[in-house]
Amino acid sequence: MKLKLKTVFVLYFMVSLLGLVYALMQLGQRCDCSEHDLPKDRTISRLRGELHRLQEQMRKSDVTKQPQKQPAKPTIFVITPTYARLVQKAELTRLSQTFLHVPQLHWIVVEDSPHKTPLVTDLLVKSGLTYTHLHMPTAKDRKLQEGDPRDNQQGVIYFADDDNTYSLQIFEEMRSTQRVSVWPVGLVGGMKYERPVVEGGKVVRFHTGWRPSRPFPMDMAGFAVSLKLVLANPEACFDGEAPMGFLESSFLQGLVTMDELEPKADNCSKVLVWHTRTEKPKMKREEALQAQGLGSDRAVEV
Amino acid sequence: MPKRRDILAIVLIVLPWTLLITVWHQSAIAPLLAIRKDDGVEGKREAGGQAQDSKEYCASDKDIVEVVRTEYVYTRPPPWSDVLPTIHIITPTYSRPVQKAELTRLANTFLHVPNLHWILVEDSQRRTPLVTRLLRETGLNFTHLNVETPRNYKLRGEARDPRIPRGTMQRNLALRWLRETFNANSSQAGIVYFADDDNTYSLELFEEMRSTRKVSVWPVAFVGGLRYESPKVNAAGKVYGWKTVFDPHRPFAIDMAGFAINLRLILFKPQAYFKLRGVKGGYQESSLLRELVTLNDLEPKAANCTKILVWHTRTEKPVLVNEGKKGFTDPNVEI
Repeated sequence: MKLKLKTVFVLYFMVSLLGLVYALMQLGQRCDCSEHDLPKDRTISRLRGELHRLQEQMRKSDVTKQPQKQPAKPTIFVITPTYARLVQKAELTRLSQTFLHVPQLHWIVVEDSPHKTPLVTDLLVKSGLTYTHLHMPTAKDRKLQEGDPRDNQQGVIYFADDDNTYSLQIFEEMRSTQRVSVWPVGLVGGMKYERPVVEGGKVVRFHTGWRPSRPFPMDMAGFAVSLKLVLANPEACFDGEAPMGFLESSFLQGLVTMDELEPKADNCSKVLVWHTRTEKPKMKREEALQAQGLGSDRAVEV
Repeated sequence: MPKRRDILAIVLIVLPWTLLITVWHQSAIAPLLAIRKDDGVEGKREAGGQAQDSKEYCASDKDIVEVVRTEYVYTRPPPWSDVLPTIHIITPTYSRPVQKAELTRLANTFLHVPNLHWILVEDSQRRTPLVTRLLRETGLNFTHLNVETPRNYKLRGEARDPRIPRGTMQRNLALRWLRETFNANSSQAGIVYFADDDNTYSLELFEEMRSTRKVSVWPVAFVGGLRYESPKVNAAGKVYGWKTVFDPHRPFAIDMAGFAINLRLILFKPQAYFKLRGVKGGYQESSLLRELVTLNDLEPKAANCTKILVWHTRTEKPVLVNEGKKGFTDPNVEI
């Protein structure tokens, strides 16, 4: 059969052209799949739309509140050592919920473990926070690892244990740290709170009931150090061999003197962080069951 | 010559069709891509690496994983939605050194949850300034109540009398407040959840409970001397028992943090309260739930009760030895 080129060509050209035009019109338009949706899917898409609308609303209201571009806030680097135990996931969960409220926060989580655990890895990914995930088998010499600190980046370093409680105000107080800033800590040292005593805007001594003769008798949660100071003193680190209660002093001694300390929290008169400790959960029944080989499902992460 | 023409003809026939097919294929995929992109944007917090401006460094020499996001975080509660059911959280609380710390971190959690109404009930004669100020400063939507448990029913010091459950009168007061405030006929959708001030709650939990029709249940960690207690769910998705060691034959062998009730049910059964007197240890939850629902009506959440979304953590009592008898620290400083 001899193909009549001209007619076939014209025919196919027309058909193709029509098809192309139709396809181009379909492009960029969402497919209307409502007839396949179950009521559940409809609810889901409705809620999703609602969520989207609320997020837009929030973004708009914040844009109007900050019309000018403000200079970048100093980043707060929060260093949290953590180790695997029953309450670990719970502690890190509620800690992340607090940190999510603080802008310009970079969470550095250091696991006391030979490998990074999936529990912490997954938690950090889902947290929505900016983070760095490190691990060290023993946290004896806590050297600071910053990853990639940029040269003129303003920052503050804070050591936050995973079982303490932090108010949101403490992060705003510490953001303006020039060298080392200090404030009271609640429920520590066998007292309702420990604090630096401030006279004339300077720290003159420390109010503590336990070994007040230490160079810096305060808790890890009671001070923050500026990033610049730490980078300028690369030898400064925590002495793991120091006697109990002297860990903080071993680090700060190389960085600052008492009269250089910057008092925060209203001249150290307000408690904005608490040294809470979480009870070890009672596992007697679990242990009894495990002895019988009937322990709870290990695949369920607690 | 004719051969060449045929070939040419065939090519000219096939070409537009291949073009058409590829374009059509593209157009079928594009709407799906558009939807998936939206998921990525909304599920920002969950799907790692799908948000805008996110960089991820994988397994460098130092084996550091660093993620940089430029998301905005907020301190005030999310805007109120007309679509989402309100979650009414009932928290009994009492004065002790760790109270402010507990309520602070609880508030930090609740500030992430949309349409949340916090009903805080103090075990005290009068509403304390500490709690009043704290509630006001959080910016949360709250109701502040108080009722003092008579001395006979309070736990005395260290000795725990298991027959007297703490917080019962406070929870009942909150239930009564809800019944007085909301009309049974109103269309206001609400969920009631009892949240103690020392537990730990994931944000996912609140979204799980929002779809409660009657009473929903899920596992709770660190209760009953186990890693977790959980309802037993069969293949049909119904609760048929309780995976606990401590008295699994209780009508509802579940912790206070392990269930949520639809507000309509609370209003529909105005006589249902927690039993105050003569309740055996561990039976407090049953005393309320058996007046509201049967085992068959329970809705299992958290992936058919296989995920832990709430932990029954307890905070250690701080050792205040150095305060001495007269107190060492300035009592005017609030902790």
